[in-house]
Amino acid sequence: MTDATDMTPMSAPAARHTSGSLLTASARTKRRNAAETRFKAYGIAAIAIAVLALMFLLYSIVRDGASAFQQTYVSLPVTISAEVVDPKGNRDPAEMAKVISMSYGKVLDDSLKAWIAAENIQIPDLSEADIKSFFSNEAQARLREMVLADPSIIGETLDMTALTSSRVDGMFKGRVTEASAALDAKTSVAQYQLAQAMKDKGALVTKFNTAFITKPDASDNRAEAAGIGVAILGSFYMMLIVLVLALPIGVAASIYLEEFAPKNRFTDVIEVNIANLAAVPSIVFGILGLAAFINFVGLPRSTPIVGGLVLTLMTLPTIIISTRAALKSVPPSIRDAALGVGASKMQTVFHHVLPLAMPGILTGTIIGLAQALGETAPLLLIGMVAFVTTYPSAPPEGFFDPASALPVQVYNWTQRADPAFFERASGAIIVLLVFLLCMNLLAIFLRRKFERRW
Amino acid sequence: MNDMSLVEREVTQDDIKITARDVQVYYGDKHAIKDVNVDILDKTVTAFIGPSGCGKSTFLRCINRMNDTIDIARIEGKIALDGEDIYDKRVDPVQLRAKVGMVFQKPNPFPKSIYDNVAYGPRIHGLARNRADLDEIVEKSLRGSALWNEVKDRLHEPGTGLSGGQQQRLCIARAVATAPEVLLMDEPCSALDPIATSQVEELIDQLREDFSVVIVTHSMQQAARVSQKTAFFHLGNLVEYGDTDDIFTRPQDPRTESYISGRIG
Amino acid sequence: MPVFWIVLIVLALSAAGFVLGRGRVMAQAQGDSRKLHSRPVYYGWSVALYTALPAFLVLLIWLFVQPVIIQRSVSKYIPDEAIAEGQTRGIVMGEASKIASTLSVAVGQDVLTRPEALTLTMDDTERLDRLKAAQLPVLTKPDVLRAAQQYLRATHIGSLWLGIVTLALSGAGLVFALLRIRPDFRARNVVERVMRGLLIGCSTIAIATTAGIVLSLVFESISFFRLYPWQDFFFGTEWTPSFGGGSKLGMLPLLWGTLYISVIALLFAVPVGLFAAIYMSEYASPRVRSVVKPAIEILAGIPTIVYGLFALVTVGPLIRDWLAQPMGLGNSGSSVMTAGLVMGVMLIPFVSSLSDDIINAVPQSLRDGSLGLGSTHSETIRQVVLPAALPGIVGAVLLAASRAIGETMIVVLGAGAMAQISGNPFEAMTTITVKIVGQLTGDNDFASPETLVAFALGLTLFVLTLGLNIFALYIVRKYREQYE
Repeated sequence: MTDATDMTPMSAPAARHTSGSLLTASARTKRRNAAETRFKAYGIAAIAIAVLALMFLLYSIVRDGASAFQQTYVSLPVTISAEVVDPKGNRDPAEMAKVISMSYGKVLDDSLKAWIAAENIQIPDLSEADIKSFFSNEAQARLREMVLADPSIIGETLDMTALTSSRVDGMFKGRVTEASAALDAKTSVAQYQLAQAMKDKGALVTKFNTAFITKPDASDNRAEAAGIGVAILGSFYMMLIVLVLALPIGVAASIYLEEFAPKNRFTDVIEVNIANLAAVPSIVFGILGLAAFINFVGLPRSTPIVGGLVLTLMTLPTIIISTRAALKSVPPSIRDAALGVGASKMQTVFHHVLPLAMPGILTGTIIGLAQALGETAPLLLIGMVAFVTTYPSAPPEGFFDPASALPVQVYNWTQRADPAFFERASGAIIVLLVFLLCMNLLAIFLRRKFERRW
Repeated sequence: MNDMSLVEREVTQDDIKITARDVQVYYGDKHAIKDVNVDILDKTVTAFIGPSGCGKSTFLRCINRMNDTIDIARIEGKIALDGEDIYDKRVDPVQLRAKVGMVFQKPNPFPKSIYDNVAYGPRIHGLARNRADLDEIVEKSLRGSALWNEVKDRLHEPGTGLSGGQQQRLCIARAVATAPEVLLMDEPCSALDPIATSQVEELIDQLREDFSVVIVTHSMQQAARVSQKTAFFHLGNLVEYGDTDDIFTRPQDPRTESYISGRIG
Repeated sequence: MPVFWIVLIVLALSAAGFVLGRGRVMAQAQGDSRKLHSRPVYYGWSVALYTALPAFLVLLIWLFVQPVIIQRSVSKYIPDEAIAEGQTRGIVMGEASKIASTLSVAVGQDVLTRPEALTLTMDDTERLDRLKAAQLPVLTKPDVLRAAQQYLRATHIGSLWLGIVTLALSGAGLVFALLRIRPDFRARNVVERVMRGLLIGCSTIAIATTAGIVLSLVFESISFFRLYPWQDFFFGTEWTPSFGGGSKLGMLPLLWGTLYISVIALLFAVPVGLFAAIYMSEYASPRVRSVVKPAIEILAGIPTIVYGLFALVTVGPLIRDWLAQPMGLGNSGSSVMTAGLVMGVMLIPFVSSLSDDIINAVPQSLRDGSLGLGSTHSETIRQVVLPAALPGIVGAVLLAASRAIGETMIVVLGAGAMAQISGNPFEAMTTITVKIVGQLTGDNDFASPETLVAFALGLTLFVLTLGLNIFALYIVRKYREQYE
């Protein structure tokens, strides 16, 4: 034990500074506490900025896109005049098929004029063009299909609902105002007044827009008919391919790396590769898809199979990383127990470790799929921007048919001129976000439900 | 024990530095400290001993309100430093901790140079008027913790590069540099080898000259070597408190006796 | 024979092999599975694997190799004269393959019989009219038609042999594996060895992907640099591609735009993300944390196309109307500022969650040490926690930078397409990724420098991001080791 008497007295350190009472804060403490408050405020401000940005983003998408789920239709008695649709008068389907959709426009225009006369609506400057551009070109095509399918309705007067043009539709969504109509070559003040008058009389109805969700894309001048049906189907096909390829391959690779791989050069190379692939810009995968799958292998452009393959390669690192984490979280004692009763390493992994890691693997896979679902850039390069109006057939042949994808459809619409397409782009994003939300909720549900504490 | 008379004299001279009355600590639902009453003297080394999980470290952390940093901890009762309640609403824990320094179980030098480690406290509390002042404080503190000769040539090398025992002495120097009145030590030697331990123990004995030192230890030998007063904790209760010599030779409570003789622990 | 059917038949064979193998071994053991080396299913599996695996392997390789060989053989049928001015062999070959697929569709729809399709000539008006009536018109030069027919013939023969070879292989595997079965046959070991091989095969896909990326970028870049001098690409300050020729393809304006936008994005995202991470890991109560952390992570889950649209429709016009025009700095909706800010928002969760992990990895003992000396919480963070976490945070910022450089949709929709070097952040500029998309979307001619330049840009982007990633991962790993 140290002998206290031999101790050299220690020189006192700096003068005691806190001679004051604890109960009163010194000036310096006050200053330091003010700095503390400021620092904390920066943190709160940062979080506020992030959260506000999120809310503003979601708000602006919903503000712009919600109206895509509503559509304005004309609801009128339409007289299908035989002179227009069957000029020869012999009801010969081959002859009638020669009448193009455009001519059916006259049927609709005449019906609208008749209605205006019957309701005694007076609008100055209402021109022929205003009537003509009131209807969507899609409405004429629908009418033609109806007549060709059932020639007996020729000459009859039917109560019909027909799609209006995107400008008329816009008048009821705040996109087109009386003032903007005056400056717009594609509409006019007279058309605006007509639309308002029709609305008052109940000849214009606004309905939930099922066509938006089920119908394919439409050409530049019929924005009102464009839908995301083909895009949803295309995205769905690609997700199927990603799921079928990426999940087994990713799980197999993770099992090897986590459970079997010896520590050597080869394993290191694989590990480094996976880490780097996870951070390679997605567009580079698009270049790979274009060069390898389309140019080299010769797979067809714009098809779900190529998109699915590219997205699979992109998603693999995500799935491998999360699967490895899930495998790692299974305690070694489980492995020891199985090996201890004489199971082979392979049996241990497949009978015990893998089932226990399954919830984690599924969660990771769903998150990977959600990422793949929203990915756009690589799909642009493999030609998914193509204008596709026919549904791909059922798988597996359908995987080789041209299709679109939800996020690419959004991009596609932003490149068009008619503002109605922007509304639809936002609407498509709402659908996309709903899908993503569902997937993430499923992932959270799985994690909560099967969460294990060892 | 040729220094016994000296210890006796000092104890009677000094006033009470810290008083604790009916202190209760809860961790969530767990009642970790029950009804602790103790008077800790100035210029004395007081040792808290007891089996692990007995609450000695918890109680130590109450004295400079380190438990405030744990969300679920709740403290009742009164602890006073020089007669002022440290849990009073007006007390700023920052100011309190400047007066009541702390050294931890594992050496935890900051990832900075040795100089900056020691200068950290004086800088934040504004103890130095200028660079020369600061240099002086750093040197004095390093000398005070018997580290000066070992590090004076490499003051600007990282503190994490020192050996375990040196790191712990650096942490003590860091605490001393702030010029506290009380120095709390939470098992300061548990991560050190025997040689480093004896160096730190020697240092603790020197620190008594200037501070009231409270040390938590799991080693009864250490308590006997460095302390003048000892408190024995068991299951959250302060079982016995008195002169170290008395506790180890004439324990009053059967639990203390069992612990000292190695039957519980 | 369609591949689909081959796959189905092989699968059926291998299922039969499973049943047969298991049955055979059980018969040999007189129904007592204890006499066997392995459990009966393993015998079944060993037969099934021998039946399916070699066949599928050959099938896969065949599918990759056949088009290449056919291309070669068909290419001989196209004389140099058939390649028109300004065309390349590739374009003519593409035409031939398109006609070949038209013809095979025609055969499929019974418009022509196979021999009729193979003997079609450009002056056989009767057959051509039949094709036109079925909306499958064939309009081309005789040479190309002959190449297309050769294409059709070769594909037909190829797929015929493919069927024969794979099915024979599958059958042989089945018989071989069945004959090997004996009660002391180590079926489990065989199956496990094959499984292990499969697992290794799956994990090498990562290497194959990287190799594929590097090869496709490098090869096409080399053909680009044969057509266009590399000095002009890397150091050219003008980007004016024109498919008629005389393009200037200098990369510097694109690189400038990329870096400018990335810097603005980081200037926004790093402070916000870092402070958010600090607040969440050091101050926020568990309840606040459990609400705010997922909210910020939602930002990370939003696809970039959504940010792109947000930039195009909302942020761009806002910045133009409220900042750029009042200050007289421009009237472009898409600008460096627009893309940079929106990208900054996208990067917030990236920076904050990485920093959060890193700050949490700083040992609590350092915080205790600092608090025990009487420093305030913010002093502890600024002077102890952040310096300790600095290497990790630098790594996180580098990763975020690599993200920003490689980001595509936000800049495609938010930054504009003007290739220029300017300091005004309210002007439209463009980036490497925008131009990759621009040059590769639509119909491409893989012989013109205007298309191939995209691969050189891709290679630049890949090298740039890869360098940043490796450096960042190295720093982060070093940092983790420090506290483990």
